[in-house]
Parts: sequence; structure tokens; C-alpha cells
Amino acid sequence: MADKNISVSRRTNRLVMHENIAGYLFMAPFLLFFFGFVVYPMFMCIYTSFFDATMGREDIFIGFENYKTLFADDVFWIALRNTLVIVVVSVPVTCAFSLWIATMISKMPVAATSAFRCIFYLPVVTGSVAVTMVWKWMFNNYYGILNYLGKGMGLIDKNINWLGDPKYALGCIILILLTTSVGQPIVLYVSALDNVDKSLVEAAHVDGATETQAFWRIKWPQMMPTTLYILVITTINSFQCFALIQLLTSGGPKNATMTIMYYIYYNAFKLYRYGYGNAMGVILAIIIAILSAVQFRLGKEK
Amino acid sequence: MKKLIAILLTVVMVMSLCAVAVSADEVTEISLWTYPIGKWVDEATVSALLDDFHAAHPEIKVNVEYLDYANGDDKVNTAIEGNQAPDIIMEGPERLIANWGAKGLMVDLADCIPAGTYEAVVSSCTSANGEVYEMPMCMVAHCMAINRDVFEEAGALQYLNEETHTWNSVEDFFKAVQAVYDAGYEYVGCIYCGGQGGDQGTRALVTNIAGATAYSNDELTEYVYATEANAGALAKLHAQDGIIFDPSIAATEEIQNFVNGTFQMAFCWNISQEKNNADALGFDVLPMAFPCDVTPVLQGGIWGFGVFNNGDEARIEAAKTFVKFMSEDDAQYTKAVEATNFAPVRALDGVYAGDELFTEYSVMNPMMGVYYQITKGWAIARTEWWNMLQRVMDTDGSVEAILAEMTVAQDAANAAAAG
Repeated sequence: MADKNISVSRRTNRLVMHENIAGYLFMAPFLLFFFGFVVYPMFMCIYTSFFDATMGREDIFIGFENYKTLFADDVFWIALRNTLVIVVVSVPVTCAFSLWIATMISKMPVAATSAFRCIFYLPVVTGSVAVTMVWKWMFNNYYGILNYLGKGMGLIDKNINWLGDPKYALGCIILILLTTSVGQPIVLYVSALDNVDKSLVEAAHVDGATETQAFWRIKWPQMMPTTLYILVITTINSFQCFALIQLLTSGGPKNATMTIMYYIYYNAFKLYRYGYGNAMGVILAIIIAILSAVQFRLGKEK
Repeated sequence: MKKLIAILLTVVMVMSLCAVAVSADEVTEISLWTYPIGKWVDEATVSALLDDFHAAHPEIKVNVEYLDYANGDDKVNTAIEGNQAPDIIMEGPERLIANWGAKGLMVDLADCIPAGTYEAVVSSCTSANGEVYEMPMCMVAHCMAINRDVFEEAGALQYLNEETHTWNSVEDFFKAVQAVYDAGYEYVGCIYCGGQGGDQGTRALVTNIAGATAYSNDELTEYVYATEANAGALAKLHAQDGIIFDPSIAATEEIQNFVNGTFQMAFCWNISQEKNNADALGFDVLPMAFPCDVTPVLQGGIWGFGVFNNGDEARIEAAKTFVKFMSEDDAQYTKAVEATNFAPVRALDGVYAGDELFTEYSVMNPMMGVYYQITKGWAIARTEWWNMLQRVMDTDGSVEAILAEMTVAQDAANAAAAG
């Protein structure tokens, strides 16, 4: 009897081992990709941040010198402030606007809902370069459509240099960012609204709840995981705003649109200060990690 | 019999494989990356030049890749860091000597320079250690241009000399701008400062108005442009009706706005711009030297080939063979130069024969000044320049305020030059 038990146990262990091996083999391509393109670059980023690294010579170990320089760098603080402004404005606006649009279009017939989903998702699938170029033309100081309409409607007396005036440049960047950011949250919210338990909503209505009450008391709590996900990805995307800046303003005028991501690129690729750029990357990663953790924490509490 | 046939077939197959292997070994593949220099960005033109080379050197295969000025540097730098730098690159001394050459990445091409190449040009392609990192192909004196039709309509042609392509005086330049502005043209000229593209134009405008002042010292070791004279020149531009500072555009957009008639002057201009935009230009373009009370000093553009040291002697030799092929023989060099739209760097009979535009722009060549773009720390110095212009835009326009901004930029550039 004992021999039989041992034999069964061995067979079970072998089966488990086979399953484990199969599992790891299935995961292997992703793990290789993850370690090669995520973990290794992250490690190299942290490692290089302790060096005076530039092109054409050996790196020199300088400890925390890059970090000290960073905190004394005025442009870094301007870039951090601009980045935070982008995050603080674009994240809530994106979430609120997406939620509002999603609630509107989810009440429509299926065909209309699908059509609107496609329309709002178009800027996401369209190349960011193409979208940015269209906006650049619209914002053009000399023959842009915004100035043309503004003057035609008597809203402005003379042309505004939207991207060349520090007063407006960051606002323009945020506006473009919003148009390219809302597509995915809208699609996600529409799906989340579809997945809300209809029987609970009906029961609430039977109990005398209004539309607004049903939304905030029944639907909203069930959409919290989606909201949390949207908050996190929108925050990360806003922190990593780069292509718009590179294509439209190069961080100007007078650093008015300088963001951390663009400043990292500027230091690493224009000034060849690889170590310094990496130190900034580490700081940016820490900020994003803290904010994401806070968002997850708050989401869990909710 | 069957066995014999089988053996023979096997021998033939093995030999053919060996033959393929041998011929594959004999061909050295090299890469050529070129920035948009005249028609060296046009595939048909470049293919014709490469066909000439491949016919003469079947043992070398050149693969070409085209770069643009917006992202070209990033692409090259990424390739360098990944040990995938091209074998040959076509650009100017500010990149080949002051940047990649200074970092020890380039091959000395002193043995590739053909006899008769102008000494001043070779000197601009030579690094501080005496090594030549660029085999110069062509040159141009960057100038400015005006919309002649508009100037005529505004009665502003009286302020310049169409024969010599110069302004009567700095004062007359400002009178001309005012006349065009008064004729109803809001945007006469633009101090573009949205990036480094074409920044030589704004530098030449300022230093010439100031009296052809120097941008860096004679030894090309230090930047010296933060002077009252240069600040005064910028102050005059700042105060002038019709001259705008625009940090939302760089030279490409300035040229576009000149060509489409929005601006009446372009500060980033040369013969290539006129040739490339010939179809879009709806007015008569008059190329001009920058306004100056002494003889104007124009910034030169010199373009040519650099060879990256990729550690493979065979590829370096193949790259040098290509460079020599394009420049040594007069007939081939004529083709290569004409593809740039710019002037040759040595006396060359018959080049651009019958090209009136080339003759017109040749007036500018003797005004070409020192090639100061090879001063150390150039990458930072040029970035500081356009950032300084952005800050100047928002000053009260006083010489003191502008000089303070110039000094900040110059100090940063000199710190880079010293480092």
C-alpha cells in the first residue's frame, strides 16, 4: 500500500514538474523580452546615473554628483513643474471627459455607440506625428485656422503665436495631449458601463433611485478598477509626454514647454550627457512609481 | 556510371558554392549616410553617382541611407553608441570635426584630399590635432534673400545694390525694412529661434549689422560674441517694425514662409534653396549679403565626406576608395559637385556651365568668413544661441538687457569649450 502511495506521489510530482516546465517554457519568450528590454535597461539606467558618461571616452564614476547637479539645475525644476502641470490638468480632465462621453454614447443604439467609439479612438491609432503636424498647422502664427477663426469671429485683434508665446504654449500642448489621450479611456469606460450588473441598476430604480443616484451608487463603484487603470495609464502617459514637445516646441519658448522627458532627451542626445540624463530618468521613474502606488492604494481603499 | 555522374555533380555543386563564397568575400559592403545636401537626398541623382562608382569598383558595394536635419543627429548618435556607425557620412565640419572627430571617432583623410583643394577649406576640415576628418566636396556662402517684387513695389530697392548684392549701409537696411512694412507687409523678416536649424542666418545678421564682428576668437578656442556691438545690433532688430522674433519656427519654416510670400526676407538662404523651391516661388528672388557698414562676412557652409573608424581596415579602405573616386577625377567630381548645387572646393573648369543662377550667387563666395563652427563646445554653443534669442524676445529691448542674456549664453558656451 505504502509503495503504491509513493509511486502515485512520484507520478504527481513528475506531472507537476512537467507542468511547471511547460509553464516556464510558455513564459520564456516574454521573460526574455522583459529582462532584455525592461529589466536590463532599467538596471543600466540606474548604473549609468552614477557615471560621467559621454560619447567617445570611458565613463568616469562620480557617485551621486549627477543627482546633486540635477537638484541645482533650474531648468530641471522648470521641467518638473511643467510636467506636473500637464499631469494635474490632463489626468482629471481626461478621466472626467472620457466618463462623460462614455455615459452619453453608451445610451445610444449599438451602431451609434460603435461609430462614436471609432471616432474618439481615431487620434489614438493615427500616428502621433501626423496628428501633431495637423495641430501645428492649426496653431500656425501666420496662417493657422485658429487665428483665422479668432479674428473672423472678433475674438482676437491680431494673430496669437500660440506655440511661440510662453503664455499659451503649454496650454496648447495639454490640449493636443487631451485629444490623443481620451480615445482609450472612452473605449474602456463604455465597456465598463456595459459590464455593470443591470439587475442592480433596475433594483435601484424600483427602490426609487434617480438616474444620478443609480450612477454614483451602483455603476461608479463597479467601474472603480477601470477608473484606477485609466488614472494610472493617463498619469504615466502625461509624465512621459515627449513626441509633442519634440515636434512642436523643442521645449521652448524660454523652457515654457520643457518637460522632464524632453529634458532627458535633450541632455542625452543633444549634449551627450548620458549619465545626467539617466539620473533624471531615475528621478522620473521614482516619481511615477510613488504616484502610481498612491493611486493603487486609494483605489483599493475605495 | 551513375556513381561517376553523382560524384561529378557533387564536385560541380561544391565548386559553385565555393565560387559564390569567394565572390561574396571579394565584395566589401559599406554604408553611406547623407544629410540633405542639395540633390544628395534625391534617390535618382545619388543612384546615378553610385552606379558610376560600382561600375569602376565592383569589389565594393555602397548602401545609401538618407538623413534629415531634424532627426539625423539622433540616428547617427544612436548608431555610434550601438557600434553601428555608418562607414561614410556626408555633412559639414561642425559635425565631422567639432563633434564626432573631436570624440576620436573619425578616420584621418589627409591622404584623400586632391591637389588644388583650397587651403582655407582644408584648414576648416582639419581638427586641432592636425588630422583631416572631412574630405570637402562643396561650399557655399550662406546669404539672405529678399522678395524683389515687394521691395520694388515698396520703393525699397533704392537702399541696396543689385549688382553687388549688398546693402548700401546698415541704416539703409532698416530703412528698407520700414518701407516694406509701411507698404502694408506686417512680416518683413523673422528672427526664427525655435531650434538650431539654419541658425547661421541669425548669427550672420547680428554680427554683420554690428560691423562684421567675430563670433569666436582667432584660435577658435573661445566664444567672444557677447559684446555691446552685437547686443546693439539685436536691440535695433528688436525695435524695428516688421522684424519679428518667432520661437515657434526654425529655418525650414522661415524658408517656407518666404517662399509662400508670408515673409519678405529670408535670413537662411543659399543657391540650393532657390533651386529646390524654383517651382513654388511666385516672385523674383534677390540674394543679398547681410547688411554691414564694412565688407560683409558671410558664414560658409562646407560639406563633404567623413569616414567613421569602425575598426575594420577593409571597410575603411573601401570608404576611402569611394571618397577618392568622387573627388579625384575632374569629370566625376563635376557630377558629384553639381548634385550638391554648391560650389566646388577647387578650381574646376566647366562646372555648372551655362547656369546663370550659379554665376549670380558666386558673387557671395569671396565674402565667406572664418569657419568658426569648429570651435570646441559647438553643440552647446549653438543651442545657447537660439535659446538666448528666445529670452531676448521678452526683454525690454535695451542693449544692457540683451547683453546680459548674451553673456549668459556665451558663458555656457565657453564652459563647454573649456571642458
